[in-house]
Amino acid sequence: MRISTIALANLRRRKGRAVFLAAGIAIGVGTVVALLGLNSALREEIGSQMDRFGANIIVTPHSGNLALDYGGVSIAGVSFDQHQLSGDDIDRIRQIPYRKRLSTVAPKLLGSLDVEGRNALVAGVDFASELRLKRWWRISGRPPQGGKDVLLGYDAATTASAIQIASVKNGAADDGSAHHAARGETLQLAKDSLKIAGNEYRIAGVLGQTGGPEDRMVFVSIGEVQALLDKPDQLSVIEVSALCKDCPVEDIVAQIQKALPHAKVSAIQQAVRARTDAVERLSRFSLIVAAVVLLLGALMIFTTMMNSVVERTKEIGVLRAIGFRRGHIIRGLLIEVAVVSAAGGLLGWAGGLIASRLALPFFAEAGATIGVSAQLALFAMAVSLGTGLVSSVYPVLRASRLDPADAVRSM
Amino acid sequence: MPFVSMESVSKCYDDQESRLGVTVLRQVSGGIEEGEFVALMGPSGSGKSTLLTILGAMNTPSSGRLLVDDIDVYGLPDERRADFRAQYLGFVFQQHHLMPYLNAVENAMLPLAPLRMGSLEKRQRAFAALERVGLGAKSLRLPNQLSGGEQGRLAIARAIVNDPPLLLADEPTGTLDTATGDDIMHLFLELNRKGQTIFMVTHNPANAEMAHRIMRIRDGALEN
Ligand SMILES: Nc1ncnc2c1ncn2[C@@H]1O[C@H](COP(=O)(O)OP(=O)(O)OP(=O)(O)O)[C@@H](O)[C@H]1O
Ligand SMILES: [Mg+2]
Repeated sequence: MRISTIALANLRRRKGRAVFLAAGIAIGVGTVVALLGLNSALREEIGSQMDRFGANIIVTPHSGNLALDYGGVSIAGVSFDQHQLSGDDIDRIRQIPYRKRLSTVAPKLLGSLDVEGRNALVAGVDFASELRLKRWWRISGRPPQGGKDVLLGYDAATTASAIQIASVKNGAADDGSAHHAARGETLQLAKDSLKIAGNEYRIAGVLGQTGGPEDRMVFVSIGEVQALLDKPDQLSVIEVSALCKDCPVEDIVAQIQKALPHAKVSAIQQAVRARTDAVERLSRFSLIVAAVVLLLGALMIFTTMMNSVVERTKEIGVLRAIGFRRGHIIRGLLIEVAVVSAAGGLLGWAGGLIASRLALPFFAEAGATIGVSAQLALFAMAVSLGTGLVSSVYPVLRASRLDPADAVRSM
Repeated sequence: MPFVSMESVSKCYDDQESRLGVTVLRQVSGGIEEGEFVALMGPSGSGKSTLLTILGAMNTPSSGRLLVDDIDVYGLPDERRADFRAQYLGFVFQQHHLMPYLNAVENAMLPLAPLRMGSLEKRQRAFAALERVGLGAKSLRLPNQLSGGEQGRLAIARAIVNDPPLLLADEPTGTLDTATGDDIMHLFLELNRKGQTIFMVTHNPANAEMAHRIMRIRDGALEN
């Protein structure tokens, strides 16, 4: 028989209370574990999908003459500026120290050209990089290859009468397709070519409505636009997407700025930021909930231990009288708390893990996962043991100060 | 010099009503020889239990000294005094104070729990103590499965398991009927015959007569 034998016997004697206490701790720790798991899964998801939200850096020429507006970013008037962007700038961007973090560099030349007899906004793009950047684009038709292929924004296509209204073509029987067409999923091409500045181009596809500036644009291979506008090798904007988990966007911006002193380099993160903000809010909320839950748990442990000590006043006095040191009383009670806390911690960790996995689909996109991590398990243990021990310090010290003489007198 | 010696021990309890406090023991001096069986008698409230807890190294006197085996007991720091109790003293409480969730042999073993000693040796010692009080056959019973007299004997087994030089008992027969009380007294006499020093508080004159010596206390002072 040792001190621990007595502690365990005491737990067995009051199984109900021990189970209640362990359950309380488990709920607290489980909440913390579930929230932590969700948080880290969402952060992970944001990190790995950063480039899905489009460019996060935009490079434009340095100039006061604002002529065009692209995606909310004003682009300098191309004609008056001495410091134009050029193809060389693309190479310079690709040589910055952080080049491995650059996933896509998409150059563009914007200009106004005659499309089927009307002036339209034409964007010269490198289709391969552009399509990698704009993953949310839904293209009806085939992806443009370059050369004489063009891609029409929804409004531009309508203006050029390049798309048919589905209900007219297929009749009323094909219900729902008009609705689809409006969402840009099954647009029917009405013709397969159009004239830009007098030259014939193939319509590869039409963009579904995005609600953005793309809707009004005609996308043509950048070489063609440079030739049509007579601006060989000129660029009006370069969009850059950097892969970033714990992204040092500011550092990448600084490096590009250093490589292109004549350009204006800025980080745009609205899309990401909105989502990051949501996760930050969830984090803060989690922290508060976790703190409250743990505080309640601590309070519960405190009152339970306090009751337990008061209930055992006489017993503890007897133990002290027959030669137990204060230290022995403290050790025995702490062993009780530790056993219950460890059980609660383990239970809470398992429960929290399960709960977070069940809840994950409501917060994250499919594919996000919460793994079993030893770190989180250790953390759960530390939290439960820490909460258990800290909140029973006072009751335990109080128990150790009980006067053995009182136990003898209470006869 | 006797094995246990009290040197003008006084005890004064704080009291909310009088600022001076209540004096419970006044200049008590006396000794107990090794192997002696001493009974302490006195009216209720005269300070018997107080004196016993002072002898029990758990109630610091307001003044005076207690020497046991030449150790100045109240000169020891608190934790060392707990060790002293474990090593020198055995207690038999009036209400026995057995742990209801431990069986007989575990209850008897309780004073050995904090000691560094193999668990087999602890168990053997506890069995030996149970044998000495005649409970060898009931070692696995819980206290509530024992009769009042058997509970008293179990309390004595727990008190002697550490072979204490001094056995202290506060009205050990107080809650028992005459026959079982006598039973306990015979056990004390037998232990004493084998050399156990015993100091016992009692209200029962017949029990007190069985001791070698009777100390009488009245209003906190020993009578001669
Ligand atoms: N902790 C305490 N604080 C204040 N007064 C106390 C305390 N303990 C005992 N007393 C008082 O000291 C006096 C002696 O008490 P004690 O318990 O020693 O008497 P006793 O002789 O054992 O009595 P009984 O025969 O009834 O057990 C009593 O008047 C009691 O009220
Ligand atoms: Mg008394």
